[in-house]
Amino acid sequence: MTDRRRNLFILLLVFGLLLASGVVVATKETRLGLDLEGGVSLVYEATPTPQEPVLEDEAIERAIEVIRDRIDALGVDEPEIQRSGGDQLNVSLPGVADTERAADQVGRVAQLYFYDWEESVVGPDGSVGSQDPTVTGGQAAGGIADAVELYGAVQRAKGVEPEVDGDNTHEGLFYLVNTQEREVLEGPEPVREELFDGEQVPEQLPDNVRIEAIPPGVIILRAQAPDNVDADEVERYYILRDDPALRGTDIENPEQNRDSSPGGTGQPIVTFEFTEQGRTQWEAVTSEIAQRGLANRLPGQPPDVSNQHFAIVLDNALISVPQIDYQENPDGIDGRSGAQISGGFTIQGAQDLASVLQTGALPVDLELISQNQISATLGAESLRQGIIAGIAGFAIVALALMLFYRVLGVIAVAALFVYGLYFFALMKLIPVTLTLPGIAGLILTLGVAADANIVIFERVKEEIRGGRSVAAGLAAGYKKGLTTIIDANVVTVLVAFILFVLATSGVRGFALTLGLGTIVSFFTAVLFTQAIIGTTARMKFMRSKNALGAGKPKRPITFDFMGKSKWFFSASGLILVIGALAIGGQGIDFSIDFESGTQVRASLEEPAEEDEIRGVLSQAGLAETEVQEVTGPGTPPNTVLIATEALEPAEIEDVSGALDDAYGGGETYSATSIGPSFGQSVAQGAIYAVIASLLVISAYIALRFEAKTAVPILIAIMHDLLITAGVYALLGAEVSTATVAALLTILGFSLYDTIIVFDRVRENTPRLPRATFSQIMNRSLSEVIVRSLNTSFCTLLPVLALFFFGGETLRDFALALIIGTASGTYSSVFIAGPVLTAWKDREPIYRRRRARLVKEFGHVPAYPTATVGGEPAEVAPREETSEERRRRLTTPDDPQQNVSQAEWQQMMRDSEDERTRASTATVARRQQEGDADEEGGDGDESAQRGSRGRDLSPDEVVMPGREKKQPKGGAASRRSRRHGRNR
Amino acid sequence: MAAFAWVMMGLALWHFTVFLPDRFLGGIVGAFVGALIGSVAFPFLIHGLSVPSQDDTTILVAAEAIPGAFIGMAVVYWLGAREERLAGEDPELAEPA
Repeated sequence: MTDRRRNLFILLLVFGLLLASGVVVATKETRLGLDLEGGVSLVYEATPTPQEPVLEDEAIERAIEVIRDRIDALGVDEPEIQRSGGDQLNVSLPGVADTERAADQVGRVAQLYFYDWEESVVGPDGSVGSQDPTVTGGQAAGGIADAVELYGAVQRAKGVEPEVDGDNTHEGLFYLVNTQEREVLEGPEPVREELFDGEQVPEQLPDNVRIEAIPPGVIILRAQAPDNVDADEVERYYILRDDPALRGTDIENPEQNRDSSPGGTGQPIVTFEFTEQGRTQWEAVTSEIAQRGLANRLPGQPPDVSNQHFAIVLDNALISVPQIDYQENPDGIDGRSGAQISGGFTIQGAQDLASVLQTGALPVDLELISQNQISATLGAESLRQGIIAGIAGFAIVALALMLFYRVLGVIAVAALFVYGLYFFALMKLIPVTLTLPGIAGLILTLGVAADANIVIFERVKEEIRGGRSVAAGLAAGYKKGLTTIIDANVVTVLVAFILFVLATSGVRGFALTLGLGTIVSFFTAVLFTQAIIGTTARMKFMRSKNALGAGKPKRPITFDFMGKSKWFFSASGLILVIGALAIGGQGIDFSIDFESGTQVRASLEEPAEEDEIRGVLSQAGLAETEVQEVTGPGTPPNTVLIATEALEPAEIEDVSGALDDAYGGGETYSATSIGPSFGQSVAQGAIYAVIASLLVISAYIALRFEAKTAVPILIAIMHDLLITAGVYALLGAEVSTATVAALLTILGFSLYDTIIVFDRVRENTPRLPRATFSQIMNRSLSEVIVRSLNTSFCTLLPVLALFFFGGETLRDFALALIIGTASGTYSSVFIAGPVLTAWKDREPIYRRRRARLVKEFGHVPAYPTATVGGEPAEVAPREETSEERRRRLTTPDDPQQNVSQAEWQQMMRDSEDERTRASTATVARRQQEGDADEEGGDGDESAQRGSRGRDLSPDEVVMPGREKKQPKGGAASRRSRRHGRNR
Repeated sequence: MAAFAWVMMGLALWHFTVFLPDRFLGGIVGAFVGALIGSVAFPFLIHGLSVPSQDDTTILVAAEAIPGAFIGMAVVYWLGAREERLAGEDPELAEPA
């Protein structure tokens, strides 16, 4: 396929996809995440139940199904349930405002059992079947009056004779108790290790602390809560023989109803029917209970006194203990009409119970370890800020590209636009839930896409300034820039992948958009722009070098990067010393993501002092709170951040209610609550992500370049990460999971610059066969420093947009990126380069070159130099031969290991050429630059050959003071063709 | 947190090795390894083979890495110089005085 056809095909493909993207964007709905839409996010940790002592995959999958059914019953649109880390379940409920109810509905195990009460209650002596009202509660069966405290219940239960049969609801339970304080510290758990968060049981327990084992066949149940008392607040217990008469699986069609039976209270109740088997059992057990009541009737006593009871138990708590009236139902109760559960329910409480009974019990216990609630108002505000940051990021990147690269910049902006549309369509098509970190990732990929264009365009400019025609320069620029872009993009995608696998759900959105965006941007920034440029290359506006920003050659950079590197090293060292002392003195302020606690962020309608707010919260029952006013660009006025110990959903509701009552605006808030185990797993995931990223990046760099190259890169990355951490410690800025994501992104961006530099070093090494490594590095840096700075600048632009317009959440994220990007650019030039130089210059081949130069000039010049007519003159890199270019694909360019006899001969000839022909070569760089400047960018190309921004033939030696053109067809011209491109 | 500060201090002090003649075993990277190992090992030893908790980390704890880093780098320097001495100077590589 010819280039023309290829370009046409790509353009048609692009426009076709553009149309399709337009249709997708117009017709498909955008899925917004909780942080943009408002809602509740719950993270549960699954733990074994007595019925499922070992966590199996199947049990967790069943739990997900049950949760999905329950959420459907809540009427939530597009909920998300994701499993992460093996035993964690992330449940996202968009649009839900009542966290407490959602958490109760989703996480309730809902194990329902029915017990013959009097036959099951265990007395102080361990016996059952007692009719003693002080044991059973008598008429107030199941009430708190005759129940015992938990410690006493455990002591009583552990002594009961084990009874193992198929009816047991557990196979033994364990409690951790303090015998001196007479309190239960942990439990019940089905295995001992769970008492210690899954860790191994310590060989030596603290004094007075011991593990108590409850045998199978006995169970401890929470007493029935009195009216107007929350069941969770009841701390009295009964001990029962674990021999349930019926189970939750024996009932069907549970519904919320009202007690409209004769003499009924009209209160909300839950009615249900029995299955075939359940009905038989129900009739049998109620008949047995009635018969026992009749048998226990004593003369002279009212008949009610001997009525026996039936206990309904939900999740180890008595919810109702109704009596069976033996006079009304001497043969038991007919199961065909079903039964009912009453227990002081509200309508919603009864509906919820009916709902969880309908969906069935969870096969695993779910512990709520993190919850996050974002109000719809705040979500809308975040979305608005994200959109503004995105537009601002796009606009400033577009402006910068057009300013630097003019016509090429306009094409790059068109590519950015196409990229934006493709990406948005792809997000809708997959579909990817758009979150605030996801928007951050999207905005960052604008920088990635721009970077790819900068790398190519700078190369194009270099080629054109080096004497190529516009068309040839464009072709060469794309060809040579592609390797760098692929290397850098692969690293970014790898980091994104690691983040996606190891990070928490919020950061995953960022990783997904960053990874996807990098891949899509490669298509638009490279293939699309190449096709446009290829198609328009012969048009008039593309033939002007000025229009491409490649007019006048720039003044060459002659800075001795390697020579001055020790001063930059000192500066870095000093910054790191200060950072280390700051970390030691002030520490790093980790957010609740890594530790446990609750953070409430509220935008109040009225201004309030921090002390006043603390007082309001104190009245709401929160004694110890940290209140901090939040200010900054994009943050609404009167925004406060409240940090306290981990709160339950109901307590968080109290906080927002109290703030709303006192200052208004309590509806615009977000609340995050993190339990200790979740914080620990987040911190662990962050550490794993950093280590995995470093390993993968090292392996890739070692593979693509030279094994030695990976070490300076790792040192530079470490430098960037530690400097960022030091600045965070100095500023007292908070480190959250978003910061970790930013740090990992820094790894990728820091490498972008380093790869640009090392790629040029790899290219220049065989082209400068007599130079020391420091000279090669200086030469390479001088050639790529502008594009390195430009890529960093273009990455910084969208990050700055995030910082100024992205709101409070994205500002923290952007801060880490700003510091890291700046540090990354700096470290690529002044840390990674010098370290590699210092290491490589120790190799014998470079030491020999060094010794020769010192012998010749008395010192090592900063740039490759040869003696010309007794005067030192700078040597530019010679053009690679086609043989070398081929060789580079399969072998490294290490001259120490990779110089064949033929190559050695060629190098000797080149070296000889430098000495003998330098005096007749194109010379006098400064004079020449002056000439070139006078002639203008579109002037005589031969006058520009000596400029530094291009690839020179090996015999082009730069000498101050004079210039001599080669006659056409002369010997030097032929030699030029032999080693270099045909000009 | 203390370990983090120690590593940071070790890395910081390593930056100043560029002012010394390159006689470290393994060159500048050898010095880097020596600085990091020394900066962590020394305070780790003086804290009785433990790392202070986040609350116990102070400026002084961070500064405890300084002697460790110097010792680590000194050891690597001594090893490098010794190796150089044993190997003898290659006259071809000798720089003129």
